[in-house]
Amino acid sequence: MRVLIAEDQALLREGLGMLFENAGHQVVALLADAEDIPAVVDAERPDLVILDIRMPPTFTDEGVRAARTIKTDHPETAVLVLSQHIETTHAVSLVALGGFGYLLKDRVLEVDEFLATAERVAAGGSALDPEVVASLVTPSGAGPLSRLTGREREVLELMAQGQTNAAIAARLVITERTVEAHVGRIMAKLDITDATGHRRVLAVLKYLREAEAASG
Amino acid sequence: MLSTTLEVAAVGLSWGYEPAWDTLIYAVNTLVLAAVGALVASRQPLNPIGWLVLGAGVFSSFTDLAQGWAMRGWPGADVAETIANTSTIPLAAATVICLLLFPSGTLMAPAWRAVGAAGVLGAAFAVPTFVLAPEAGSYFLDGVNPYAANGPAWWGLYVAAMAVLLGSFVLSVVALGLRFRRSVGDERQQMKWLALAAGIAAVVMPAGALLWNTVPAVRIAVAVAATLMPVAMGAGILRYRLYDIDLAISRTVVYATITALLTATYAIVAVTVGAVGGRGSIWATAVVTLIAGVGARPLRDRLQRLVDRRFNRSRYEATERVNTFLEELRAGRAAPEGIEKVLREAVGDPALALGFRLPGTDTYVHLDGHPMPADCEHLPIRLDGEEVGIVALGSAASRSRLPELLTLAGLSLEIVRLRVELRRQLDEVAASRARIALAADEERHRIERDLHDGHQQRLVSIGLSLRHAQHALDGTAPGAHALIQRAVDEITQSIEDLRELARGLRPAQLDAGLTPALRELARRAPLPVQVHSSTARFSPEIEAAAYYTACEGVTNAVKHSGASQVSLHTRCDQGRLVLLVNDNGVGGAALGTGTGLTGLQDRVKAHGGTLEIISPRGQGTTLRAVFPCAS
Repeated sequence: MRVLIAEDQALLREGLGMLFENAGHQVVALLADAEDIPAVVDAERPDLVILDIRMPPTFTDEGVRAARTIKTDHPETAVLVLSQHIETTHAVSLVALGGFGYLLKDRVLEVDEFLATAERVAAGGSALDPEVVASLVTPSGAGPLSRLTGREREVLELMAQGQTNAAIAARLVITERTVEAHVGRIMAKLDITDATGHRRVLAVLKYLREAEAASG
Repeated sequence: MLSTTLEVAAVGLSWGYEPAWDTLIYAVNTLVLAAVGALVASRQPLNPIGWLVLGAGVFSSFTDLAQGWAMRGWPGADVAETIANTSTIPLAAATVICLLLFPSGTLMAPAWRAVGAAGVLGAAFAVPTFVLAPEAGSYFLDGVNPYAANGPAWWGLYVAAMAVLLGSFVLSVVALGLRFRRSVGDERQQMKWLALAAGIAAVVMPAGALLWNTVPAVRIAVAVAATLMPVAMGAGILRYRLYDIDLAISRTVVYATITALLTATYAIVAVTVGAVGGRGSIWATAVVTLIAGVGARPLRDRLQRLVDRRFNRSRYEATERVNTFLEELRAGRAAPEGIEKVLREAVGDPALALGFRLPGTDTYVHLDGHPMPADCEHLPIRLDGEEVGIVALGSAASRSRLPELLTLAGLSLEIVRLRVELRRQLDEVAASRARIALAADEERHRIERDLHDGHQQRLVSIGLSLRHAQHALDGTAPGAHALIQRAVDEITQSIEDLRELARGLRPAQLDAGLTPALRELARRAPLPVQVHSSTARFSPEIEAAAYYTACEGVTNAVKHSGASQVSLHTRCDQGRLVLLVNDNGVGGAALGTGTGLTGLQDRVKAHGGTLEIISPRGQGTTLRAVFPCAS
């Protein structure tokens, strides 16, 4: 796939580029700030854009704003935002667009997992950092989330991260059939009508966001 | 000049023929007349009073010279003596006209012209009839009128003319009285000058007449009183210190009364004690002195108030107003700042304003601490000789009465000054505390950024390089491969630690708002924390301050209260941010018990907020912090 990388720190930028090239992908551009991104995306039409959330000039949320622009102008272009810290508001709203991922930056050190996630996002899937998901699924009070068993919550978190049943099964070292059974019970307990694939992530995130809003 | 020359000659001539003080006093009297006349005439040439008084002075010096000439017995002494003896008559007529014209130089109504004419006619008849009357001889040194002539009853005609003159004088005094009653404002003040001199004359003249021969000193008093009249006239016409006259009158009356009372007391005590202890007893003197010493001050104050009440209503009321206020202040029923309003009302100047100098500067501030321009009409407020403030005036009229009121209100002014200064200092302390708090917040933010964007990123890129190295080895050196794996694991752990450290400094979630930050706080707390948070946004400083307050509250609950549950509430109340941290622990928390609550209170106050702790023993603890929205 064709990848565009926007990251202000040179060493990391080069490192990321090498990472994708070593994996057999084509890096179309390496950018140091957010301003050039729309023009380069227009010209190069990459499959995936890797964005640092904080970039010059203000080092606040340039990455998020660039991501929104890209998803508005080119909905088919996937975006993976890398952040130094956990942030839920922007992350969750962007994940709902599909073809979007939000990961903590140090996830790149788990190279294989990171590349797999990048490919999943480029294929239209979703990825939400486990830390972010954890901050969403923490039960507060006596909501439906508190009725989930420990294992069911693990499965829910992996679902919210955008993992497929197969990936969940591999992670938890259980069979896919067992995962399916867990998913069915989770959906029933949370009263989510059946959905599969990306739609499933959206349904779960929508549920989590509503749960969050309801407790506020 | 002419008058002075004549008078010097007159003094020379008279010297040795009558008591020296007599000569000198009349000389002074004459010179004062001429000087006042000249001054008024030069300042107000259109006012006939000046010219009249000047004329009287010159005339008077001429007659003084004539008297001296006559006493020398030089050739023409008869003429000179006649002139000297008749000199008072034209002067009386001039006095009548002056009184009719004072202070404006015009008559009150044309009808008063008749009185002036009567005075002049009376004088015109009185002089020749006196000169021709044989009975006038008793006024001459040798007892004989050199120009006495037989004929009509000259002396009878003289007496009649003098009666007319006297009548016109009485009417002129009546005119003056009427003018005084009708006068207002400046004219009234002008009249008061003359009234004061007339009042003194009214007391001194009869006393002088009674004691003329027994106590020679009263002659001096009479002469001084007579001299005061033209001086008072001049001062009135020239509007010299117009508004000080009230004070001068009241002081004169007070001291005159005190003198009279003390004299009377002396007489009574001297007689009483003298009767017991013998005449001229040292005891009598001692007792009288003691009474005078002890009684003078309170007597003076009491008399002053009585006099003001009767003669100077406005001064009395102003003083009473300030005194009443000072009593209220002492009783704790009034705030010292009220003195400004009291002074405004006391002098009838609604634009009056107090300003206090900021120590070490030339800046003056109002009671509310706002700067005050000092380029207006103002009076200084002094403390121990140093100017500590000013009173800005709306009208110049309040100028004369203020110094006295300022002295009276001195203590309250000093209290106000100190309070203004204290408030200003406290404001400054609060502002600097807020600045320090803000600087600390900014510093936390900066360090957090540094950790995230600098060190954390660098660790990620180092880790990534190691991964590339690992990739390049491509399984050729299993030992190195394992070493690199361990290094990457270490780096991952370091990144995690840095993130934790940064979050403790300032959670990045605060960028998204207080509510996400509080949720994050709840998620990481070691006990269940419920969050009920308003989605309203506030300024970053206030949100940060509220977040740290919540953190401290949760930490306290965990450490000290033994609570099993904590809840965090935020809401927006009239633009203020209200934060409640509630736990179900043991309660009994209080400020200053080493629980970190004091530091928390400092933090809240630094942002202009308030912190309240409700913690009944055994019933849990509630922290209630309220932050202002504008910051």
